Amino acid sequence: MKRLLGVALGILTAIGGFVDIGDLVTNAVVGSRFGMSLIWVVGVGVVGICLFADMSGRVAAVSGRATFEVIRERLGPRAGLANLGASFFINLMTVTAEVGGIALALQLVTSIHYLLWIPLAAFAVWLVIWRVRFKIMENVAGLLGLCLVVFGVALFLLQPDWGQLAGQALSPAVPQTENAAVYWFYAVGLFGAAMTPYEVFFFSSGAVEEGWKRKDLIQSRINVLAGFPLGGLLSVAIAGCAAVVLMPAGVEVTSLSQIVLPVADAGGKLALAFALVGILAATFGAALETTLSSGYTLAQFFGWSWGKFRSPGRAARFHLSMIVCLLVALGVLATGADPILITEYSVVFSAVALPLTYLPILIVANDPQYMGSDVNSRGINVAANVYLLIILAASLGAIPLMIVTGAGA
Amino acid sequence: MNRAQNAPVHLKPAPPAAGRVLDAQLHLLDRQVIDAEGLPVTTVDDLELEGVEADSPMTAGDPPPVISALLTGPVLGTRIFGGRPPSSRLIRLPWKDVSAVDVAIKLGVRSEGLDAGWVERWIRDKIIMRIPGGKHDPH
Repeated sequence: MKRLLGVALGILTAIGGFVDIGDLVTNAVVGSRFGMSLIWVVGVGVVGICLFADMSGRVAAVSGRATFEVIRERLGPRAGLANLGASFFINLMTVTAEVGGIALALQLVTSIHYLLWIPLAAFAVWLVIWRVRFKIMENVAGLLGLCLVVFGVALFLLQPDWGQLAGQALSPAVPQTENAAVYWFYAVGLFGAAMTPYEVFFFSSGAVEEGWKRKDLIQSRINVLAGFPLGGLLSVAIAGCAAVVLMPAGVEVTSLSQIVLPVADAGGKLALAFALVGILAATFGAALETTLSSGYTLAQFFGWSWGKFRSPGRAARFHLSMIVCLLVALGVLATGADPILITEYSVVFSAVALPLTYLPILIVANDPQYMGSDVNSRGINVAANVYLLIILAASLGAIPLMIVTGAGA
Repeated sequence: MNRAQNAPVHLKPAPPAAGRVLDAQLHLLDRQVIDAEGLPVTTVDDLELEGVEADSPMTAGDPPPVISALLTGPVLGTRIFGGRPPSSRLIRLPWKDVSAVDVAIKLGVRSEGLDAGWVERWIRDKIIMRIPGGKHDPH
């Protein structure tokens, strides 16, 4: 019974933890401009993140080595450092976006300008990282994030033309109002949002934090395989709401208030309250994950002591680096840079950096010295190699598409 | 460890050795180093060899070089960008302190007394421990 509860909790946490500011913004933007015609990308991204999160979790559980230790070890110092530079930069951008997201959500709740909330948001993120146990931190954020289910409820309350939505989703085509390059630019962004590399850094380091062993692999696999696809459904619901309400109205999503507009439309104040709690939890949870990921990647590359399972005094450089990251994010946001815009760029740059993370994981997951008899099965390798091609295509296409389309304008 | 420039023209197969054969590139360099308490110390940034002269070719009869220490610190920069730091700037983890080589390299000593731990100790004592809750054990 206790085990069953553990599995249920794990799945619920994975669902609530799946969505972050990148998914929220990108899905709403895509829904409002392309209807459901890009939803297939969410599916492709979810399968990919399941595949590689499971792989990185398995590497961490079996060998005790987290992703960035593996990246340094396999790529050597030069390529490893280049990889660290790119991954860390994008991660920092995501931290900035998430902290900004918390502040924007708080602005919606309180009507106090988001810039005033930013120092408090960053401080709260730091305080949780400094004090709260890993397991509690993960579960509370994940469970509260489940409030985002209200987007799904809202979609039903809006009583859309299901046939039309399904038609858009099942036979995707570029809408007449948009051109193909913009369509593919947003496809890449949506893919980057679903497969953000920090999720893998966090997942594998979390496996070490929680001391996973071989026997925990089944539970982690259930969490991933059930939780992430259901989390992906939340993304679809967000896009669906935007497609039903915002697209016909011709609203271009540039703020959080537009993202929650369909929910308020459909379910009134109560639904809106749920949506706000969900967004707050999702961005706060993701801010924790990305901030920790900055610390994880640095510490693992340089071999510092890391982990929330140690007291801060026993992982000093790890904690200091996270404090510095939060201060940098604070500084960037204090310039008045739009968090939504930072988010949109961060998902595209994530797509560019995808191969840097996923290729080394795939190599080590096949290394018997690390994995013993738990190396990848043939089926997983075939799927992973197919994904590597998709990832490479998205990565190579991202920057040219961004330039050609003027970042989707 | 700049292999390309110093590589001999003809490479004979290695003579049979007693015990485990370790490939410096594959099993030592860039591996995580963990102290006797399981605390990560650093990553192996380079190796120090004894019994071999730098930049001069080895002949067949020479005695094989011996690993004297794992190196860390500024040597990472020179390994990436080239050059060689002065010997006084190297931070050494003596090879005799190594107790096991696995997917991580384990030391038989605590990191508290090691030179390689001084940055960590400095940041701990000067910054982290001065913030309330720095000693707080999460479990």
